[in-house]
Amino acid sequence: MQFPRPARALAIATVALLGLTACAAGGSDSDASSDILIFAGGEPDHLTPGRQTVAFDQVMSVFSPLVDLDAEGNTSMLAAESVESEDATTWTITLKDGWTFHNGEPVTAQSYVDAWNFTAYGPNAWENSWELASIVGYTDLNPAEGEPTTDAMSGLTVVDDLTFTVELVGPDSQFPLQLTGAQTGFYPMPEAAYDDLDAYDRQPIGNGPFEMTEAWEDTEEYTVTAYADYAGPAPTIAGITFRPYTDNLTAYTDVLAGNADVLYLPTAKMTSAIADFGDDHVYSLQAPGVDYIGFPLWDEKWQNQDLREAISMAIDREAINEAIYGGLYAPANSLTSPNMNGDPAGICGELCEFDVDAAQAKLEEAGGFEGTMTIVYPGGSGLDELFEAYANQIRQNLGIDAVASPTTDWAEYWQSLVDHTVAGPHFGHWGALYPSQQSTLRALFTEGGGCYLCTGYSSDTVDELLLAADASQTLDDSYEGYAAVQEFVLSEFPTVPTFSNTYNYVTSERVLELPAVSGSPVLSKIVLAD
Amino acid sequence: MAKVIGGRVLELVIVFFGVTFVIYAMVFALPGDPIRALAGERPIAESTIATLRAAYHLDDPLLVQYFRYLGGLFTGDFGTDFSGRPVGAQILRAWPVTLVLALSAWAIEIVVGLGLGLVAALKRNTWIDRTILVTTILATAIPVFVVGVSAQLLFGVRWGILPVAGDKAGWPVAFILPAAVIALYGLAVVSRLMRSSVIDNLGMDYVRTARAKGLSRRRVVGVHVLRNSAIPAVTFLATDLGYLLGGAVVVEGIFNLPGIGNLLFGAIRSHEGPTVVGISTALILVFLVTSVLVDLLHAALDPRIRHD
Repeated sequence: MQFPRPARALAIATVALLGLTACAAGGSDSDASSDILIFAGGEPDHLTPGRQTVAFDQVMSVFSPLVDLDAEGNTSMLAAESVESEDATTWTITLKDGWTFHNGEPVTAQSYVDAWNFTAYGPNAWENSWELASIVGYTDLNPAEGEPTTDAMSGLTVVDDLTFTVELVGPDSQFPLQLTGAQTGFYPMPEAAYDDLDAYDRQPIGNGPFEMTEAWEDTEEYTVTAYADYAGPAPTIAGITFRPYTDNLTAYTDVLAGNADVLYLPTAKMTSAIADFGDDHVYSLQAPGVDYIGFPLWDEKWQNQDLREAISMAIDREAINEAIYGGLYAPANSLTSPNMNGDPAGICGELCEFDVDAAQAKLEEAGGFEGTMTIVYPGGSGLDELFEAYANQIRQNLGIDAVASPTTDWAEYWQSLVDHTVAGPHFGHWGALYPSQQSTLRALFTEGGGCYLCTGYSSDTVDELLLAADASQTLDDSYEGYAAVQEFVLSEFPTVPTFSNTYNYVTSERVLELPAVSGSPVLSKIVLAD
Repeated sequence: MAKVIGGRVLELVIVFFGVTFVIYAMVFALPGDPIRALAGERPIAESTIATLRAAYHLDDPLLVQYFRYLGGLFTGDFGTDFSGRPVGAQILRAWPVTLVLALSAWAIEIVVGLGLGLVAALKRNTWIDRTILVTTILATAIPVFVVGVSAQLLFGVRWGILPVAGDKAGWPVAFILPAAVIALYGLAVVSRLMRSSVIDNLGMDYVRTARAKGLSRRRVVGVHVLRNSAIPAVTFLATDLGYLLGGAVVVEGIFNLPGIGNLLFGAIRSHEGPTVVGISTALILVFLVTSVLVDLLHAALDPRIRHD
């Protein structure tokens, strides 16, 4: 720079100040009325139910599912009058009469069929398309090569205004559970949606307890208000303000200050939440998610089952739970969470119990371990302490040189699984969207289940046992069937089950009660102080 | 004059292409498929992945992607992120928040920094002087998130006098804490500069003359010394504005202000190439244009540099 610094600097300042006069800080004063709940969350990606992947709370407040769940995981009908089948393959769904979308359009069988077809249609590339994959005709809309020749699934048939049938590719007794709230790919959309899908993504018109009276703008909070003509049980609050936070620790402080009401508790705060908020305002909800450690099973070194079992028995799950999760998680003793209907608790047996001597004996049977064991996890996700703890325990209890190694981020972690380049035992987690063991077992241990990448494990026996369990005519039979699947998978021990998740929430003083199903708070039934 | 302008504009063009390409290439080189990571751990149908990758041209070579992006840029199109939102609109929304934050921090640095420097000079070598020195330097040594979170807990939670986060309360209330946190890191330098400048000036002839004329010490210091001494510190502050914008980026995350920093952070995490390059380009353009304007302003003000 060829000019004297002071003068130059003053000139920059002048220019900057001129800039200031041209712009004003945003912000408006709107005193939230006392029965508007303020939900501290993240920024949505989409609000269209077939597209959202991180906006569950937002979308579930604007839409109502066909089938509802209670706190015990039992189903009851909500938007549907009945969901019935003779053979568990062809299901007849009858809707309740009198339901309307927020724009007054009646909710009909066609609203569902059109929305499901649109969501499933490959070229639309809607993110929740996979939820509909077991309907006959899904593959026609998603051919392996080229463009689909039809835009409707042949398995969906409208019978009359309030009735339609769904044909599945095979018998599946768990189908009604798949129609519950978190599988947002199964929500209906009104005809008005298709006129302008971009506008709809900003301000979806749903059939749920709350309606969007204002559109969502990037990085700004917005408020949904109770829908006067809602045909389901009236919400207990007048509305919900969804406020996005970039940093969930900031959100935590804001809830502590009483500026927001409900927040998903960040892992980093699990050990201090009860001290900060008191027992009454920390909710630990049993959830359908599980944590496990996966292995590069394509690598000969990791095909040694004794080695995998040694690692499992060398991990003191209780101690880690106390130290990192403040005791809020539960050590795993089966492949599924206790939140799942019929979870065969304890089926993992001694393999999931901490026993240093047994672990060392197993390691000896396995022929020891040479070299450094690199335990891989996605960086930037708050998992550092957990994986340091795993590595420490394997180091101390098995004498293996174990190190915890983060990837740059999620995308790199995924890529290492896709490319089979992951360096060793790795992070694993499955958050099921409906409380059936089917979701977890199918996703993690079958090739077509969606998360085959996560474990790299499949087996013909598992496929057969799982199909048999799905085809059960009664729920009790299906529980036995899934237990048989678990027993077989555990006999090959492809993953180390570590924890059953709880989804934890903290609330402000205003919240007297936070009802929940399957790990998700039911915001429409929340009880606020006057 | 024409030559000066021409040279500067040429420089601007080179820097613009160089920097946007380097940033684009770096985002391109990040490992992993951003589309697959969109849904976190949940599966996305392979057909969905393929369609989205095609829609965002992710399978094209780097140069093709870059020139397509540049082409859009010249027609005023900053591209879209992976949720289909226009990047240009996002930058326009975020930019004022960051600028207001940086300028508020700047104002606090001027008032508090100059004040502390003046006091330190007047009370030099006393415990007051040393306390100011030690505390301002200590403050610089504490990581910004520690200061930020402590300030939130004290002012927002314990005393409840200022908002913890967000810009809902508007300026100035919502910006006081974050701006103060940023300003804290400049105080040490500003106050030291001011201190030595005031000490120099106090020894000047004009001060002795003024005192000899019978002016009160208060008037001499308050009017003449203060004004003359402020020049070096204010000069430093002006060049510091760029740093303040950088500091704003970190602080925005802590205080949940929807500015450029927040946007950039989120975009890098989700490998949003167009957003990262868009924001960087916007920042670069602002700096380049400002510096050209400044140089031209110089040329206009100072005949000596209007050489050919």
